[in-house]
Amino acid sequence: MAAFLAALSLPCTAFAGPEEDRLAFVSFFQSRFPDILFDEFANGIYAIDADSRAQWLEIEEFPPYEFAIEHGQSLWQKPFSNGSAYADCFKQPLAEVRAAYPAFDAGRAEVVTLEVAINDCRVANDETPFAYDASELIDLTAYLGYTARGKKIDVQIPADEPGALAAYEYGKRFYYSKRGQLNFACADCHVTSVGMRVRADRLSASLGHPTHFPVYRSKLGGMISLQQRFFGCVRDVRARPFELQSTEYRNLEFFLAYMSNGLTINGPGARK
Amino acid sequence: MAPAHASNIAMTIVIALLAAPVLAEDIGARLAEAEDLRQKAAEAGYEWLETAALLEQAREEAEKGSLDNAIALIEKARLQAEAALTQAEREAEAWRSRVVR
Repeated sequence: MAAFLAALSLPCTAFAGPEEDRLAFVSFFQSRFPDILFDEFANGIYAIDADSRAQWLEIEEFPPYEFAIEHGQSLWQKPFSNGSAYADCFKQPLAEVRAAYPAFDAGRAEVVTLEVAINDCRVANDETPFAYDASELIDLTAYLGYTARGKKIDVQIPADEPGALAAYEYGKRFYYSKRGQLNFACADCHVTSVGMRVRADRLSASLGHPTHFPVYRSKLGGMISLQQRFFGCVRDVRARPFELQSTEYRNLEFFLAYMSNGLTINGPGARK
Repeated sequence: MAPAHASNIAMTIVIALLAAPVLAEDIGARLAEAEDLRQKAAEAGYEWLETAALLEQAREEAEKGSLDNAIALIEKARLQAEAALTQAEREAEAWRSRVVR
């Protein structure tokens, strides 16, 4: 009886289902920025910072990620040594490959991201898998993101698949947990302090984060994946980062992508 | 009552003991303790950025014979690892309060 009463007293939101979480998440950002339409959040910081948006629109006239798209396309079309190609690994039409990930693979009992699926394809065809920060891999995802422009993020968490829900809950917990010497959670910057300045830059909304990666980062002079951005954020709060495509980052990506369900894929993008 | 020179001798011995150079075995034990705490923080998923590097620097200082420097670095690493473990323990439930509702 005591345990039952204790359970009743726990914050019910922590146990809300994914769809209740998503609706609350979207509602928070729409309340915080009432003049911004839902679809605009796919543009990340450029949805909420007019000055940055003006610069971005100029950058988009000659997009710095074009070379990545072209390189990714040539890699995608180049046959493996055995004569097969990437397209043979994916059951979806080209324009739908990007939107199929991240997904929970019940057989493997883990989240599979686009990067993992590409490497799985390579291994299945006797090719060496890419390192997860390899430019070839990132350029392939840039090409797939480009071909998927206009498609919606649509992460599925089947009710009869407890592993998918567990992965989602893991990612949710990671997102809201403070870590590192600075004692920051992802949510501290991208929910609680969204729109506020960190030195010269404004903090972007988490709603829409997954739509535009990989992105060309001007400060780095190259393309980075969403998980490389996770790596950088974790390091910036002075916690030891996890490996790219670790369980932690895959589940975090799964949670964040679910939060952005319904937004339009518009990658690759360009960021400062 | 003991003669004044006797109490001076005792005080000298106490000061000498307090100022005694740190033994290499002591460094090893301190390193092992701090490394154990760091590993526990890592297993919890809460290791801080610098802790492993501090311990590596401490090993290098100890090898050079700079034992005081080594001890200072080990102590810093140990405090970081303990704080990371406290953070992990607190966040086991505290994260729930931040969920957007």
